[in-house]
This record gives sequence, structure tokens and C-alpha cells, in this order.
Amino acid sequence: MSVNRNKPHVLVLPEDDANSDVANGFHLEIHQVRQMQVLPVGGGWTKVLNCFETDHICKMEANPNRFMILLIDFDGHEDRLDQAMAVIPTRLSDRVFVLGAWTKPEKLKGAGLGSYEAIGRAMAKDCREGTRTIWEHDLLRHNASEFDRLHNRVWPFLA
Amino acid sequence: MGGRAAVAPASAVILVFGIGRIEQARFCERGCAAEPVRATKRAIISLVIRRLYVHNFRCLENFELSVSGQSSVLLIGKNGSGKTTVALVLEILQRIARGTNRVGDLVKPESRGRADVPVRFEIEVGIGGKIYEYVIALELPEGFKELRVLEEKLAVGGVPAYTRDVAQVNLAVPGPEHGAKPGTDARGKPISAAALMSGAARFRIDWHLVALPIVQGRSETDPIFIFKRWLARMLILRPIPALIAGESKQKTLEPNIRVTDFAAWFTGLLASAPAAYAKIDEYLKQVMPDLKDIQNPVIGKDSQNLAVRFSNEQGTLSVPFEDLSDGEKCFMICAVVLAANEAYGPLLCFWDEPDNYLALDEVGHFVLALRQAFQSGGQFIATSHNPEAIRRFSSENTLLLHRRNHLEPTQVRRLDQLDVHGDLVGALIRGDVQP
Repeated sequence: MSVNRNKPHVLVLPEDDANSDVANGFHLEIHQVRQMQVLPVGGGWTKVLNCFETDHICKMEANPNRFMILLIDFDGHEDRLDQAMAVIPTRLSDRVFVLGAWTKPEKLKGAGLGSYEAIGRAMAKDCREGTRTIWEHDLLRHNASEFDRLHNRVWPFLA
Repeated sequence: MGGRAAVAPASAVILVFGIGRIEQARFCERGCAAEPVRATKRAIISLVIRRLYVHNFRCLENFELSVSGQSSVLLIGKNGSGKTTVALVLEILQRIARGTNRVGDLVKPESRGRADVPVRFEIEVGIGGKIYEYVIALELPEGFKELRVLEEKLAVGGVPAYTRDVAQVNLAVPGPEHGAKPGTDARGKPISAAALMSGAARFRIDWHLVALPIVQGRSETDPIFIFKRWLARMLILRPIPALIAGESKQKTLEPNIRVTDFAAWFTGLLASAPAAYAKIDEYLKQVMPDLKDIQNPVIGKDSQNLAVRFSNEQGTLSVPFEDLSDGEKCFMICAVVLAANEAYGPLLCFWDEPDNYLALDEVGHFVLALRQAFQSGGQFIATSHNPEAIRRFSSENTLLLHRRNHLEPTQVRRLDQLDVHGDLVGALIRGDVQP
């Protein structure tokens, strides 16, 4: 029932509604719908990290089938990824992914990439087709290494 | 039923009945067991409501629901904001297409917002690449106790299939055939609008009767037939699982709103499209991994009874349908909606609060399965107060219905046009989301 905890599954922890909408678009494009779950919004990137630390680390340690995506805004800060990675225990780092717009998803929308759901769909399409059409966008290309990890570790059980 | 006189044009089949529900040939016309689902899906390659306009009906005044281009839409708003009234309007249109033709059985005078203004329903829908527009306006002249039809029209691609002014119906002759360009005859020659509506097909009917159920298409490719079948097959759902039993004596492709005829719908779907079982099975096994199968054996003359079997390494358990939990019955309904949309859709599915009866961890998956299924055809419209259901839609496909008080009409705005910052659900809880 719900997400099948006995199979590999991914929980998405979005920073705000815009990121949640992007995740919805991604979710609509995958085949194994029940292997992904978008959680309630964190209400800010620091709250996402706090929530991850307090609620999810112990659950991930108890369940090796669990993967997590922290969907946060980078707000133009180059050290945002390092700050996020700092709260992820090394033993879990291969199952946690930190992704997000370089500034805010609003900028992606403003850049003519369509609605938030359309952006999420395009991200899934890139995963499905092995392309980087949207992931190469100026506001997303900083995710390259995380995208590669995601594509290798998570996409296979969502496709 | 008492018949009423009518002058039938040679080129159209018109059956005029008295008041009440028209039962003639429904089973055949709607394509159930006697007429298996067939080419409809190929003919109807796309379907979306482009526009639903309602005026002077309950809280809906000059109300326009613009859902064009959206395969799924969520309606949110406070209690009494008009969400369910939208479903009620669709239900009225559906009942017309399913054969209820007496105005008094469809809309009561008390449903009007203002006494001196006609009630007006307009629906514009794209079916198979053509735009169908149906309009009906109802009024209550002084001294009347029952509303009467003031105006009625069905147009295809902007060309009237018929128009009606009070009792006078003008049927386009010849009607544009499906597959032919609207406004052309069977040989493709243009027909002027004046010629279309000129005299040959005029007749009068009781002004308390709606014309749409009475005017019959000449074939399955006739636009009148196509539109009526689409309207009749809309799925408007507000299930009450406790009232749903497993026994069926009939087959249908047109479930009622409470889905109390679920077993007849299940039976009708599989009689029309046996392959639909694969879709039902696929969905249900994701939700209930120990599902073995669904059985529907004959238990008497013309009667069948649903039972659901579960199995694992411990053995097999057969559960009568009525003994399933309310939530499990909703999973069954969802499975049949998905299968129906594939088998005889694309359909419009309006589900009033689909999250009802579901466990919190199931709501998101349930809504997402419906949204995903209708991406490839048809349209899914839901209402909800449930945070998890609301989160599974986005600002671009969420409409807020709002009413300042009971004396003012409903306003509708798309969420991405509103000034909502931060967490939407939090803002809804605080009552901060307003047009």
C-alpha cells in the first residue's frame, strides 16, 4: 500500500509550492507512480534540511530501499550544495540527492520553459530519453553531477 | 407516456414523447451489450470541455469555467462556494442526454438566482477535432409554475445542428455528418446557414420539454448522436460506498452519481470491452498486491454478483463486494474509471472529493493515477478540501471558487493568477486565499 517500502522508492522533499509543482510534473511522467511520493513542502531550504535531519535520516537508515530528493532553491549561492550535503550522513549520501533551480523556479518559468509542471515533465523526459535538454539550461546545469547520480540510481526503478 | 404531434422532416428521425424519461433504445444507443464499444475511440481522438457557462443558477451567475487545454483540473474553495453546484450543472446536462426531457424534472424554479432572468447553461466541448456547443436557457413567465425552454441550440463547428426558440425547433437539414466538414452536405458541397435552417425541418414541441433527448441522430456518425452519447457518458461521481453492493441485474456504461450501480457498470464495461479487465487488474494489483482476481458469476436469472479474491502463500480468500471497505470500493471505482476511459473514452470524469474514504497515504497516489490516465485523452475534474489531494495538483490547474456571502455569486480564479505566497495549504487553512 502507498509507496511500496519493500521496493526501491524515492521521497521528494520540496522547498515550496513551486518546487512541489515541478515534482508533480515529473511524477506524472513516470511509469512506476507508486515508487515515488512528493511530501508536503518544507517552507524554505533550511527547513527542508532540518526536516530531513529530524524526520528522515533514521527512516532511511532503517530502510535501504529509500531514496530522497531534496528539492531546494539555490538562490544564486554556489555553496548551497555543500551546505546541504553537510547535513547528509556519509553513509546515506549515495541515496540522497540535492536538486533545484540556480535561483528560483519562478525564474525557470520566466525563462520560457513553461509551467512548473511542464518543467517537471521536461526533466522526466530527459531522464527517459537520456538527453539533457532542460538540464543544460543555465538555471539547471549546476545540477549536472546530481542529475547523473539520479539518472543512474533512481530513474531505473521509476521508468 | 402521451405522445405529442410533430412534423418530422424526411431527413431526420424525430421521436417525440410525452413527459419523463425516454427509455427507447437506450441500451442500443449508448453502446452496451447489444452494441459493443467499437469505433468511437478512433473517431473521438480528443475531448476536453473548452468552456462551461452558467447564469442565474443557484450561486452561479455569469459564471464561466475555463478549463480548455487542461487534462486535469482541481476545484477548491470554502464550503458553499459552488464546487458541487458545478457538478450539479453537469449532472443536469447529463440527465438531458440520458433522456430526461421534462424541464420540471431537471431544474426547479427555486434554483434560479433571480426571478426576472433566465437560467442559462452553455457547454462547449471538443470531440474528435470538432467543437460542439450546446446552449439551453430556461425561463418562468408570469403565471407559470414550471420553467419552460426559452432557447436551445446545438452547433457543431459553429454551424447549427438545430436551434430552438420557445416551442419552435429548427433542425438543420441535412445535418453535417461526422467526418464531413460542418456546413457541407454528404457530398461535401457547402450549405448556407440560411439553407441549413430554412423551413424543411421546423416543428413545434411542448415548451416544457427539452429538445435534445427528442431529436435523434440518424446514425452513429451524426453530430447529434455523438454529442448526446458523449454527454450521457460523462462520469459524474460522488460515490457512497456503503450503498454499493455487488449484485447486478443489468449492464450499463452510464453509472449514476452515487455509483450504486457499480456492479452493473463493471458488468457492462466488460461485456462491451473484455480487455478492460487487464487495466482494472493492473491498477488494483498496485494498490492491493494480494488481489487475485474479481469474479462476477451468474447467480440467477439475469443476475450476477461480484466477489473479490485475495491470495498469498497462506491461501485464498473470497470477499463479497459489499464486504470490502469503503476505501477499497473507491479503488474499484477508480480502476473502472481508468479502464472505461481507455475502453469507451475519452471521457469527462468529474469526481467530487475523490479523497473521501481514503487513507492519507493513498490520497496522493489515487489522485495522481487519475491525473496521469487522463493525460492521454479525456478530462478529469476533481473537487477537494484534502491537503494531500490539493498538493497533487499545481497552481496552473487549480481553480479557486469563492463567494463573499450567500447573497453574492461565485467568483472563479486560477490559482496562478492569485497572490498566494508560501504554502498553499497553510494559506487555505488560514483562510487567506481569496480572489
